[in-house]
Parts: sequence; structure tokens; C-alpha cells
Amino acid sequence: MSEYLLTQVINYGPPLVALILFLGALGLPVGASAVLIAAGAFSQQGILNWPLTAVLGLAGALLGDMLSFGMGHFAKDAVQKKFGKSSAWRSARTAFQNSAGAAIFFTRWLVTAIAIPTNLVAGGSGYKFPRFMAYDIAGEAVWIILYGGLGYLFGSQWELVSDFLSNFGGLILGLLFFGFGTRQFLKRQREVKSKKVEA
Amino acid sequence: MSARTRPQQRALWGGLIIIGILFIAFFGLRTLRAYKKFNGHRPPPPGTVETDVELIRDWMTISFISRAYRVPEKIIFDALNISPIGNHEKSLKGLNNEYFPESDGAVLDVVKAAILAHQPPPRPDAGPSASPPP
Repeated sequence: MSEYLLTQVINYGPPLVALILFLGALGLPVGASAVLIAAGAFSQQGILNWPLTAVLGLAGALLGDMLSFGMGHFAKDAVQKKFGKSSAWRSARTAFQNSAGAAIFFTRWLVTAIAIPTNLVAGGSGYKFPRFMAYDIAGEAVWIILYGGLGYLFGSQWELVSDFLSNFGGLILGLLFFGFGTRQFLKRQREVKSKKVEA
Repeated sequence: MSARTRPQQRALWGGLIIIGILFIAFFGLRTLRAYKKFNGHRPPPPGTVETDVELIRDWMTISFISRAYRVPEKIIFDALNISPIGNHEKSLKGLNNEYFPESDGAVLDVVKAAILAHQPPPRPDAGPSASPPP
């Protein structure tokens, strides 16, 4: 994360934290999670007002998520025109609709690296906006309370917490890729086998 | 789904599995290393004043350090021999570039020394290393 941003968070406080979380929710690489943990630590050290930082940060993150959902929503027609006839797209859309709630909730705070694609797919696949917001608010609230709370708890040792959580998120993402890839691969193999038996 | 897309799909899922394994290996090792570094650190009790000067970074401002370490700003600015006016919002790195461009890290070293000099000496009964009374 840019050290320049940390200096400015000290100087400008909660409004800047909200702006960084907003930009992070739009996919800009601003290190939003690390800023959130740092903001918790700065609050413990008496530099920031934690309740105000948490509320403004939550507002910024939600606004960013709404915008990226909107981008997916408005690109829906173009995507439908290009991939609408593809059975892979249709099955991916159905699979997403079936587990969208969990995907939205967990990508807010556990696997944050795929939050933007999730928002775009949610918007582009016609997922209901009020339902998206319900899971989004729950997930972002967990993110703010958990990450900010850990920063608050560990104070000046927040960099250790940030280092651990960012790597742990990458590990969970790897497990997801591996699990999903293996599941689909085995599914294809089974289909091929059953077709051979039928023939 | 058409038969033509099967090899592509196999490649896609195979690629995802390989990326997953690479991520698991890379981030798994980094998570383990981060956990080892993290393990043993406990949250400080509420109201504890920071005393470890090795946690001072060059992105911090003097106002921030002053509040975190409970050392008056004046002491730090005096140690650096620079005016506080217009320098409150500058990072230690910024101050170094502006006032001591020829010596890298000079501001950080002076600030650490000023904080250490301002801290009260450790009480003889404060730590486990304290020698027992004769």
C-alpha cells in the first residue's frame, strides 16, 4: 500500500478513509483492507474517531459496490447479445444465481480479490438489487468491524495483522480456484464417461 | 454443449486447478510466515502508551508520533532543529527530503533518539529480567 496514503489518512481522517474504501470497491488498487486495519489502529491511538470512521467507511464501500453493480447492470444487454446463446454463459449465470448470496457476502470480507467481478456478474446477470444490497451491507459490515476491530485491538502492531490477513485471503482464493476447477473437471470427465457408456 | 468446446473447457478447468495450486503454495507459505511473525504478539492492554521506537515508520507525521508516544511535538521538532510551522502534515520522509536531502534516514534516527530520551527509565521491578533484591 502506498505510504503516501497512510500519511494522508493521518492528516485527513475519516473522509479520506471513506474515499479510499469507495475507490477500492470500484476495483482501484488502493489497498483498502490495509487502510481499514490501519484506521482501526489509528483510532486506538487516539488519532481517528472510530465510530465516525466506521460509518463513513461503510458508506464509501457501499457506494462503490452500488456503482460496480450498476456497471454490470448497464452492460447486461451487451453481454447478453454477445454470450446469450452460449450454454456456458447460461449455466454460469444459473450457478451464480443459486449461490449469489454467499458469493456476495463472503467476497466482501474473506475473498476480497474477487469482489468486483462478483458485483459485475451480479449486475449483469439480473440479480435483484435489494437482495444484492442486503448481502452487501451484511458483508461490508463484517469487513469493517472485523478488519477495523483487529486494527483497533492490535494498535501499533497493525502491520502484522494486515500482512497475515492479505496472505490468508490469497490462500482462500487459491483453495477456491482449486476446488471449483477440480469439481468442474471431474464433472466433465463423468459426463464424457457416461456418454461413452450410452454409445 | 458442443464437442468442439470440450478441449477448451478442459484447458480452462485445468488452468484453474494449476492457478489454484500455485496460489495455495505461494500464499500458503506467506501465510505461514506471517503467522509465525504474528504468533507471540498479543494485543496491548487498553490505555497502554506505545514505547517501542522500532515501530516508527517514515510515512508517519510528527503530530502522529507525538500523540502515539505521548511526547510533546516541541521536543521532536527541537531535536530536528526545524520549525513546526507548515511541517505538521509532512511525513518523516518528506521532512528528510526537504531538510536533510544529503543524509537518508536522518530524520527517522533523530526522532527515534528524541522519543527514547524522553521516555522514563524502566522501573527495576518492571520486567522479568529485573534482578532479585540482595
